[in-house]
Amino acid sequence: MATAVRFSRVSKRYYLGLTRASVASRASHWLGRAWRRGSTASPPDNLFWALRDVSFDLEQGESLALVGPNGAGKSTILKLLANITVPTSGQIEVNGQLAALIELGAGFHPDLTGRENIYLNATLLGLRAKDIDARFDDIVAFAELERFIDTPIKRYSSGMTVRLGFAVASCTEPDILLVDEVLAVGDASFRQRCVQRIKSLIERGTSLIFVSHDMGLVKAVCRKAIYLEDGLMHHHGPTAEVIDIYNAVLDRRRAASLDRPERAAADASLAVEFTQVDVVGGDPCAARDLYGDQRAEVRVTYVAHRPVRGVNVAIRVYRTDGVSCFVTRTHADSFPVALERGAGVITVALEPLQLFGGTYYAIAWLTDADDANGICRASSDWFEVKNRTSGHDIHDAVFEPRRRWTHVSHGAPEA
Amino acid sequence: MRRGARHVATVGDLAKAWTVRTLRARYQQSVLGWSWAVIQPIATVAVFTIVFTRFVRIDTGGVPYIVFAYTALVPWTLLATALPDMATSLVSNFNLVSKIYFPREALPIAALAARLVDFGISIILLAVLVVAFHTHVSPPWVLFLPVILLIQLALILGLGLGSAALNVFYRDVDPVLKLLLQLWFYASPIIYPASLVPQRWQWLYFANPMAGIIESYRDVLLAHEAPGWYLVPAAFGAVLLLVTGYGFFRRVEGRFADVI
Repeated sequence: MATAVRFSRVSKRYYLGLTRASVASRASHWLGRAWRRGSTASPPDNLFWALRDVSFDLEQGESLALVGPNGAGKSTILKLLANITVPTSGQIEVNGQLAALIELGAGFHPDLTGRENIYLNATLLGLRAKDIDARFDDIVAFAELERFIDTPIKRYSSGMTVRLGFAVASCTEPDILLVDEVLAVGDASFRQRCVQRIKSLIERGTSLIFVSHDMGLVKAVCRKAIYLEDGLMHHHGPTAEVIDIYNAVLDRRRAASLDRPERAAADASLAVEFTQVDVVGGDPCAARDLYGDQRAEVRVTYVAHRPVRGVNVAIRVYRTDGVSCFVTRTHADSFPVALERGAGVITVALEPLQLFGGTYYAIAWLTDADDANGICRASSDWFEVKNRTSGHDIHDAVFEPRRRWTHVSHGAPEA
Repeated sequence: MRRGARHVATVGDLAKAWTVRTLRARYQQSVLGWSWAVIQPIATVAVFTIVFTRFVRIDTGGVPYIVFAYTALVPWTLLATALPDMATSLVSNFNLVSKIYFPREALPIAALAARLVDFGISIILLAVLVVAFHTHVSPPWVLFLPVILLIQLALILGLGLGSAALNVFYRDVDPVLKLLLQLWFYASPIIYPASLVPQRWQWLYFANPMAGIIESYRDVLLAHEAPGWYLVPAAFGAVLLLVTGYGFFRRVEGRFADVI
């Protein structure tokens, strides 16, 4: 198979700040530099590496997704491929006609009609007039704008504009197609048709490079993916693997942005302190990994400064996005708690844990006999639950039930 | 490979489509529409004619002042309107430049082409004026017109492409250009004939290519003779500017999307 796209050790650096400066501020910059004689290097905070040393190949007819958080360099790769900008170093090889669905309708003019804009935009995308003539009806039909084709675009709804933009851009039947987050707009049925159009292009041998934050779409369209972060290529492999990495990173970021679970603080004025909350796998022989279908324990370590009786211990588990997954109380479970002076551990065993793969934390708190006043509280660190059953799709569920499958076949219907 | 014939064809298609878009947008919701292309230079000529025939006498060599001034004002207006349009053509379409790849020179070229349409309309009026106020037109020398126009276009293209590219990096280009155009107007033989300039300064005066170009238009249209020697340095200057301006444009166009 021939190579459609080859990226070899491509880096892209942007200058921030001074590039847009006026002559006056440039002059003052130079004067300032002359003043501080010798320090000729421009300050490094002016530089921003959007991509560093990225290499990959795309075979003809392959589809590749670029996955990563905002600012990872995904769009920069597309811009480099589309020749909108040039790399700072490295080689880019593009074999064949390339079309970019990066900014749909960027060349539309509001005062011109749909018809005029089709010609204008298709010309911008590199089509000759006779090619546009041949595809005109197809474009209009796909955009479902037959009735409005001679209306100025400024009277279109935003959905209509996007439909027209996609219809024009995708009609070019390119050898290489770049798609950047353009399917986030439009209604569900149009989106579906867009995906169909992209898939049928791939079937006809078009190579695809796809950027989206919608992992469902990424999985539906691409077999392979690249995980990028801060301009570096971290992983290149099957889509499912890359999506797992992406989800794990997203979780970590979410966790960091959430209120950090409060740690127990020594405070002698309290009757009782929780010094530690741990969530551990129940099987001491096994690895520390937690699985939904295995036993797990939440252990609350306490120090009681004076004896308390008839109190209530509650434990609640949250997912990183703040969803409360379950709560359990000693009162509700008729487990009496009376603490003598000194230290101890209260443990609740979850048999099995029954949490779906993901990242969670637990909060434990102690309330008085009426369950009205809190005495103390503490949280665990983040803990990760792994999925034994499916390698991927972490985080689209909370609960992992105990289960048993059955299958009864009734045979062929009688003739 | 985006080179050679294909590149030229794409630029041509694109410039054509963009020119139409520019013209539509310019005249869409205006009552007088296309006639603005004529009204502006006519108004200027009317003012000049009153000033320079009633208050200040200028020797035009027997040509009615209105024809004398309009002959120069038509090519000057092409330059003076096209250059600022070209200089801002990339920056005002930054949305396009930073998001789609297309041969970038199409935008300044389309800006020039849109003004050329205005120029074409003014030329028709110029022909009417020459025939109406002036005794006769001499066909053989009129054949020089396309040559003079080509030289002028080379000059405008070179300056326009260069300033369009430079304007991406330094927005000062636009105001500087407008200032220079004001000075340039008086440094060119538009309201006065070049013969007013002392003989020993003529060489310096005609270092301005527009001086040679405008005088050549007058030679051909009004004096019924071949263009003077000054068209030669003007042609050299124009070609030199075209090569430099376009060369600069090609050299920096890869950075447009990054800094625009």
